[in-house]
Amino acid sequence: MSDDKNATCNEQAFDQFFKSHAKLLRNYIYYKFGDMQQAEDIVQDTFIKLWNNCSNVTLDKAKSYVYTVATNLGISVVRHQKVKFKYKDYIINRRNDTNNESPEFIAIEKEYMEQLKSAIAALPERQREVFLLSRIDKKTYKEIAELSGVSVKAIEKLMHKALVALRKKIGNV
Amino acid sequence: MFDDKKDDIFLSRWINGELTKEELIAFKSHPEYEHYVKIMAGADALYLKEYNEEKALIALKSKRSSTSKKSGAVIKLWPYVAAAASIAIILGLFLFSSNQTFTSSYGEQLAITLPDGSEMILNAKSKASFNKNNWEGSRSITLEGEAYFKVKKGSKFTVITENGEVSVLGTQFNVYAQDAFFEVHCFEGKVSVVNNKYQEILTAGKAFRDLDNTTPESWTIKAQQPSWITNSSTFRSIPLQYVFNELEKQYNIKIQSPSIDLKTIYTGTFPNNNKKVALRTVFGTLGFEYSLSPDGKTVVLEK
Repeated sequence: MSDDKNATCNEQAFDQFFKSHAKLLRNYIYYKFGDMQQAEDIVQDTFIKLWNNCSNVTLDKAKSYVYTVATNLGISVVRHQKVKFKYKDYIINRRNDTNNESPEFIAIEKEYMEQLKSAIAALPERQREVFLLSRIDKKTYKEIAELSGVSVKAIEKLMHKALVALRKKIGNV
Repeated sequence: MFDDKKDDIFLSRWINGELTKEELIAFKSHPEYEHYVKIMAGADALYLKEYNEEKALIALKSKRSSTSKKSGAVIKLWPYVAAAASIAIILGLFLFSSNQTFTSSYGEQLAITLPDGSEMILNAKSKASFNKNNWEGSRSITLEGEAYFKVKKGSKFTVITENGEVSVLGTQFNVYAQDAFFEVHCFEGKVSVVNNKYQEILTAGKAFRDLDNTTPESWTIKAQQPSWITNSSTFRSIPLQYVFNELEKQYNIKIQSPSIDLKTIYTGTFPNNNKKVALRTVFGTLGFEYSLSPDGKTVVLEK
């Protein structure tokens, strides 16, 4: 790590960095702004920016750099259009849930899944972001807190609120 | 339990398996429990459209090389091209053209010795240029602004301005040419002032002025040299506009005077090296209130 300063400019290091961070960044931006296609474009532009600035951004700073740049790009795009969170074609039901993670596995009907997805789409941005990072990307509260630069406690509150909101929205099915 | 303000992370702790045994037992017997279990089970059955990192990386690289690299290269080349070009131009100016230009800035005076030993002193915010190589053949200077000349005896010496030409044989004189205001003071010897409207010969101690919309006039002066040489500006029956122009030139300020008639005639003097006194002198005698902006660059006048 002697020339860590310019490691971002190293093609292999850059590729490695892309592969280990692009997906989560894409998901994060999608949860935040609600459009998957747009999120993938933003990820592309963000990494181009990182490459052009590689001599100024060390590898250990690159993660927070891409999150900041991507969030700002998202804000500048979304400011002009009221984006509804789009989940059709993007959020999919796991086909055969063979890995029973929760011990209290219960069969879930298709309609229920649709209802759940629309309830998630209706969540406030921050709650949705935290909820999906936790459930889909399996991120711990600590990891989510680091991504969005807030305390773990704040993430726990958002998670709790998200669940209460989903429960209210879905009602007694 | 769930809208409880005291425990607003209860469900988060539940998901993380951080509830105590008692809490969990109490929760499980709660009617809401199964609803939350269902939400969690449903949420855990969700997943996202795949992301093909390899493909995304390839797309990224092709876009990177097609757009950004090119512009990056252009940006990096430009300074060198520009630097090379300006060096070439400067060299060219020195080697092939012998036109020399002198410019004085706000509040600045510039003394220049001309090739024959004549002297030219530029007042603030003025510009003069002459041809060095051809100086023997024709002593002529192009002037914009104000300058004081001490001319050595010799061939005809000409100052060309937009308002007219002043030519002499050997003398000391002052030329002011700005916008529609043209004024020449002759301190020694003889000068002739010519343009398409008039031809005037000034002898020592005479001054001539041509101001737009008035008939050109000449009068007698007592001074031995222009007042600005000793750091003051003197005006004799001049529209206020030109006095303000001179204040702006000497002190690099902007005077905002929305409600003031700039055609008012003014006679007086102000120092060129003391802004406070200058402003007080001019505006005070005219009975104007004035305020200076915090950066000292703008003066706003009120009647």
